[in-house]
Amino acid sequence: MNRRLLVVLSCVLILSSVVLSPASAKEIKVLSQFPMSGPVGALPEFGWGYIDGMNWVNGEGGGVNGKKITWFLEDFRYDPTVEVANFNKYCAEMSRDEFILATGYITGGLKPLADKVNKEEKIPWLDGSYSTEIFGPDGGPSKYPYYYSLGATYGDQVKALMRWIKQNHKGKGKPRVGMVYSPTAWGKDGTPEGIAYAKKIGLDVVAEIEYPYSATDATNECMQLRKAKAQYVIYHGYSGASGCTAIFFKTAKKVLKDVQLMGTHYTTNRMSILVCQEAYDGYVGVATRPFLDAVPRSKTPMENPMIKLAHEFAQKYRPEEYKRGVKDKDAIKDMFLYMEGLTYALMIQKVLTDADNAGDLSREGVKKALDNLVWDFKGMFGGKKFSYKSHTIPMMQIFRAEVKMVQMGDATVPTGSVNPITDWINSDEIKW
Amino acid sequence: MIDLIQAVGSGMLVGLVYSLLGLCIVLIYKASEAFNFAIGEFMVVGSFLFYILFFDLHLPFIIALPLGLAAAAGAGAIIQRLAIKPLIGRSPISMTIVTLGLAFFIRACLQLIFGSHSYSFFLELPDISIDTGELLFLSDPIWAGILALSAFGVVMFFLFRTRWGLAVRATSENQAKAMAFGINARMILLIVWAASSACIAIAGIMISNFGALSTMSSIVGLRAIPVVLIGGMDSIGGALIGGIIVGVCESMVGTYLEPLGLIGFKEVAPYILLLIVLLIRPYGLFGTVRIERV
Repeated sequence: MNRRLLVVLSCVLILSSVVLSPASAKEIKVLSQFPMSGPVGALPEFGWGYIDGMNWVNGEGGGVNGKKITWFLEDFRYDPTVEVANFNKYCAEMSRDEFILATGYITGGLKPLADKVNKEEKIPWLDGSYSTEIFGPDGGPSKYPYYYSLGATYGDQVKALMRWIKQNHKGKGKPRVGMVYSPTAWGKDGTPEGIAYAKKIGLDVVAEIEYPYSATDATNECMQLRKAKAQYVIYHGYSGASGCTAIFFKTAKKVLKDVQLMGTHYTTNRMSILVCQEAYDGYVGVATRPFLDAVPRSKTPMENPMIKLAHEFAQKYRPEEYKRGVKDKDAIKDMFLYMEGLTYALMIQKVLTDADNAGDLSREGVKKALDNLVWDFKGMFGGKKFSYKSHTIPMMQIFRAEVKMVQMGDATVPTGSVNPITDWINSDEIKW
Repeated sequence: MIDLIQAVGSGMLVGLVYSLLGLCIVLIYKASEAFNFAIGEFMVVGSFLFYILFFDLHLPFIIALPLGLAAAAGAGAIIQRLAIKPLIGRSPISMTIVTLGLAFFIRACLQLIFGSHSYSFFLELPDISIDTGELLFLSDPIWAGILALSAFGVVMFFLFRTRWGLAVRATSENQAKAMAFGINARMILLIVWAASSACIAIAGIMISNFGALSTMSSIVGLRAIPVVLIGGMDSIGGALIGGIIVGVCESMVGTYLEPLGLIGFKEVAPYILLLIVLLIRPYGLFGTVRIERV
């Protein structure tokens, strides 16, 4: 009897393992690409945040309902050709059943991959690009159904600044706005939409200046703005960490004394405080993330749950890099970069889990999960929820920089932070 | 009229810094007939050496500046010893190509050591801004112009009033003849590279003081190309005039043409001017016309 039972049980076990093995052996594979090195800038923080986030997801985070994610991280060195080549390589090497989600970071990669991702592979692609061309009214879900951005478009960012000017202008007459943008696809993206919106709501755009990355002087540009009697200057399409931004802000602080300097996402950050110092004081900028990383870091307010989480992660997994001075190339110079990598990991876990819960852990299942997503992103936007109906996370907030110079030993060093001055704005809820 | 004065004045001040970059190219070209494509990277090396002394070690400016320039000269001399000296006697083209390789190598080393992020750069020199309301010349560009002119003066004094300068000029004229007269051409080349590196460092420090310092600052070195080609590859005076022309050209285009809708034209204007000059005078405005007899 016992022998018979043993034989029957063995047969059942063998059969079940044969029947179930293909399903249980199926892996969940995700490719992520960040610019972590290269001639334009070394930003390893992206990768650190992502690595720590994905390790947490697969460990304490519980994976995707207990299933582990097989993740791949590539440094595309700010080079769209590398980003494209990496994606092609992974597509060739992995099966469509397993490779169900990819992420990237720049518009330059999205354009050449548009057909491959949206028509051929049909794989959901999360990206750091805020391109109005790709994610704005002329692009969006109808044209690029598998592309999703992790932030509001530049067009919406510039419009949010124009709206803020309109709401906060105190002088007589129409507010006079000057636009300064970089001669890059990035700088030109969003500028026409912003200018059209400014005119629509009754602002005067009195100057439009293209200011190059290779600039050695900004006197002429600032004098043009002064002659045009601009009261607000929107500086768009630059990184806060670049030399030309420091030239512009230093010059503007002297030439445009009563003018409100403003800017978009990548000028609203900690590096601007460190590089531009006092010239950055009073700057008003829009950002798609809570940019709270004070100088010194110990003074960062921790009310925002995502900020708190990111700092806790960095302190736990990267204690040395977190503490290192900003001049150290291996330091976490701006927590935004680390948090950005981390948010990718958290978003990946969220949509994969939603797809799994819906019983469809495939490319189409992940797309459906993204399309149906309504989430507060772990409290990142002050408890407000967003949906992915426009294929962007449409949340923005406006910040003001407060910078003071203090004496520390022999040196005078900047202290301060960029602090929110508005509530979170949901671009999808505004009739622009 | 006020606009014109503003545009010309601002352009001249920045142009003087370009002149200094041009001078460094001319010095090396005259001594070895090679074009130093690594000028931008030499500029960043010199600026970082000064940065360490002034901002990290907190030495007073009066001490940090000469020490920084001496360090930059030393770095230039070392690079010359390692990369250029083995090519003496060979075609100047090979030396020029080596400088291209040097540019990549130095940039990579700088990124490894300093990373790719920007370093804040505030010299806090006395404020000598000229502000009349309509006319404004900021302190930093004025200081840059003064320092660039001073460096030019020192180099001219060295070349035309010292024995070493005479030796440099003799070597520039004819290396073989100079060696026959007992001039150590290898040493002269070393001195030229060192002096050139120190001058580049001054330009780098001034440009960094306009904004910030980063390895990406090396891109400014490209400005030296229209400067020397307009002025003449072998003319020291041409470098001075060429720099001013490029600076004023950028400024005038920025003031008068860009507001008409030619947005971004400022960047290409010096190169268009360069083409025009080369069509009329292929050796530049002050370059030596070479007549090859066959």
